[in-house]
Amino acid sequence: MSDGLKIVVLIKQVPDTSSAAGVNPDGTVDRARAKKMMNPFDKFALQKALESRRDHGGEIVAISMGPPPAIEVLNEALEYGADKGYLLSDRRLAASDTLATAYALFKTIEWIGGVDLVFTGLQTTDGDTAQTGPQIAERMGLAQVTYTETMKITGRTIRASRIIDGGLQHVELQMPALITVANSASKLEYKTFANVYKFKELARDPKALEGRVRAIDLDVIGANAARVGLVGSPTVVGKTWKLGEKGGTCKIFKGDAPAHEAQLLAGALAADGQGMEELLK
Amino acid sequence: MNDFGDIAVIADQIQNDIRPVTFELLGAARELAGKLNVKVRAIVMGHQLGSIPTTLIHSGADEVYVVDQPELAEYTTLPYRRAAISVIDSFDRVPHIVLCGATTLGRDLAPRIAAHYEVGLTADCTELDIGEYEHKGKADPAKVGMYHNCLYAIRPSFGESLKARIIGPWKNPQMATARTGALIPCKPDTSRTGKIIPVKVDFKPDDFRVKVIETVRKVSSGADLLKAKIIVSGGFGLGGPEGFDTVRDLASIFKESAVGSSRKAVDAGWIPYDHQVGQTGKTVRPEVYIALGISGAIQHRVGMSNSRVIIAVNKDEEAPIFQFAHYGIISDLFEVAPLLKKEFQKSLAAAGAAR
Repeated sequence: MSDGLKIVVLIKQVPDTSSAAGVNPDGTVDRARAKKMMNPFDKFALQKALESRRDHGGEIVAISMGPPPAIEVLNEALEYGADKGYLLSDRRLAASDTLATAYALFKTIEWIGGVDLVFTGLQTTDGDTAQTGPQIAERMGLAQVTYTETMKITGRTIRASRIIDGGLQHVELQMPALITVANSASKLEYKTFANVYKFKELARDPKALEGRVRAIDLDVIGANAARVGLVGSPTVVGKTWKLGEKGGTCKIFKGDAPAHEAQLLAGALAADGQGMEELLK
Repeated sequence: MNDFGDIAVIADQIQNDIRPVTFELLGAARELAGKLNVKVRAIVMGHQLGSIPTTLIHSGADEVYVVDQPELAEYTTLPYRRAAISVIDSFDRVPHIVLCGATTLGRDLAPRIAAHYEVGLTADCTELDIGEYEHKGKADPAKVGMYHNCLYAIRPSFGESLKARIIGPWKNPQMATARTGALIPCKPDTSRTGKIIPVKVDFKPDDFRVKVIETVRKVSSGADLLKAKIIVSGGFGLGGPEGFDTVRDLASIFKESAVGSSRKAVDAGWIPYDHQVGQTGKTVRPEVYIALGISGAIQHRVGMSNSRVIIAVNKDEEAPIFQFAHYGIISDLFEVAPLLKKEFQKSLAAAGAAR
């Protein structure tokens, strides 16, 4: 293709649980108060998108779905070198599960049209499902390569290595395709000065920026509201509870004589019927 | 037998190597099938599968649907997707539940099957159960009501220190993937009998868009983690890569032992990734888990908290690991580990089980 590749990269804003903000003492997260960040897995996807454009030219469109503040991750993607960003933001999307999310993102990609490559991170740090990418591929009827570590494009042909349990699988396929990128792939290097400068220039003029990073809703992309949000999600969270609140059962040995403590521990194991001889049968 | 559909388990195999999660899924499926009074149907896809279908019966399947065709010799998404869907469509009734491993295969395949059927799929479960659910939310009046015999797909929400029960009773099959090491297999029983049903699948040319050039499998030492009865793990408290010598030394006295690690020690480059236990590593369930210098952050905990006995050694009294370990020594691990080794050797010698 003479005018290069049309590349989509999917990016999600997630709570930054390494920051203390919004993390309750018991480890649960108050999403409204939590500091936000770009899903770390998505940076590997963005890096693959940048490499593909570097080698073959074209355009990178970053897409995110979330509330209005999520526009930040698209701005960040532009600072890294993406060309455009679309934030799919619509109240009706709230509480979408992976199937509903995949539908909404599929409709967005379809609305953009003519896409050669869709990159996603392997999973998100808040959902941890790794399902949305393959579910978008299913809806689009695309071939997919998940857990991708390395890839090389020649013409319309992709050669990729993907991780499998206990090894690697080397595969070949033709575009268009959806690629989910493993977190052992090459890292997003850095924001180049030129990209950051370009973005800053852009941000000076709200109109110019609006042309590059834009919020869209379900009506713009022509999505069926009955297939997203609570209504369009086949699953719900029935119940949550804190992980293992069984504190206080640990038999603790503490003192100044480690040899004694080791002996006490071994003795306690035996007394409780947990002797090593039992365990090794 | 009642009117529910059965429980289907998609066997996880790479080049005819059946992955351990398959047996764990069958074990869980048996339990669920007992509660629903339905059958466990295994689906196995591949080429020249030999005795694998029989093994699946011995491990808990009532029926094994076998797609054994050359096109399936190597795993690729689209042919396996076609085969799985063809088998499910061939059932006399829609399965109530479909289970897959949360492996590189299951996490590639299951989302496509779920999206094809437009049904719910819960990722990376650590427990499965059956129960009732009352939906009260008014957002969708069509969903309101009391539902019985729902699949409870239970998974940790890692970032949030929560466990969540995910439910989707409105449309079958209710689907879930389960983490390796989380569910309990049945004891293989060679006297178990069942039906083996071959299925022939017609592929479409479009199914072969991805070609496998080569599959490289390396025998990984980390894989032992999933089979080990005793795991000795080290964390950031080891202070450096040489700290793992102490871990290995303690592990060496046990048969069927393996060396594990926390993510911090892996990130620091002290030990390869395949030793990592936890959220982004492996889930293990050994008889004994000995944690040396591991603080017990939630990311680690979700990968090992189902171990039968957890022993922790840590200098830091406040370390969260003491909240869920069964036995703990608050002291310097480098002093304690060799002493523990001596004590355990004594018990082993006493039992005549020493190496």
